[in-house]
Amino acid sequence: MDENNISMDENNTESSDDEAQSIPLDNDAKAVNIGTGVRVDGRIEGAETSDISGTLTGTLKSSNINISNKGVFSGDMSGQEITISGSVDGEINSDDYLIVNNSANIKGVIEYASLQVSYGARIQGTLRHRGSVQSYTPVTDDEVKEDLNNESQEGDQ
Amino acid sequence: MALFGSSEKKPEVKTEFMFDTDSTIDQSTLAKDVKINGSLESTDYIDFSGHLTGTIKSSTINLKPSSYVKGTITADTITIEGEVDGDIQAKDIYIKSTARIKGNIRYHNIDIQNGSIINADLFYSS
Repeated sequence: MDENNISMDENNTESSDDEAQSIPLDNDAKAVNIGTGVRVDGRIEGAETSDISGTLTGTLKSSNINISNKGVFSGDMSGQEITISGSVDGEINSDDYLIVNNSANIKGVIEYASLQVSYGARIQGTLRHRGSVQSYTPVTDDEVKEDLNNESQEGDQ
Repeated sequence: MALFGSSEKKPEVKTEFMFDTDSTIDQSTLAKDVKINGSLESTDYIDFSGHLTGTIKSSTINLKPSSYVKGTITADTITIEGEVDGDIQAKDIYIKSTARIKGNIRYHNIDIQNGSIINADLFYSS
């Protein structure tokens, strides 16, 4: 088991003096960090935070996803809060908010609830807004009854 | 071709209407109650709050929150705060939080504020 921990250290090379240092190695944070120059093929699931500075091909499911300037992703990704500064080819599904920074280059299908794109970003593909239906909140029966009660009370006075 | 909905007849005002002849910007403002079927073209600046079915073409187009355009919009710079159903083509496109867009967007630079609802195909052109 210790061998696994040691192999994970490869990501934290001396050159990365940025945020990687602040993440403790022993954690239960379900964090994934793919460093610059690292290539990963496959499927990542159940992660809480994913920082991609390297190259990831496959499927990524994580609550928070951050594709940094140097990050390259191809495949399907889904998450709640997604920030893209690098390049993405494939499908992006965001339940909560999606931030596309000006250095981003995206090709594919984007499904989003809340989207913010900075001037300069390149997006080639389809945008689909989800939650157009959710934003509409129908009046419940209870609220109608309450209104009726209020009206009748006012009438009595 | 164009049909201007000048339904509101205002009472005659005696004061003389002054045109700002020194103005360097040729700005057209089309109010909320304006409805156009056809095409709207300008070489400078259009501030649009009405409803339009057809095409709208200008150097700068400002589609205000109450605006609705069904058709084609072509400009250098477009700011969208209203509703658009159709094709949008511009070098710079600014989509504000109140915007509702359906259709195709061709752009060189795009800026999207959160809150906007966009169901569209995006095409980047250099």
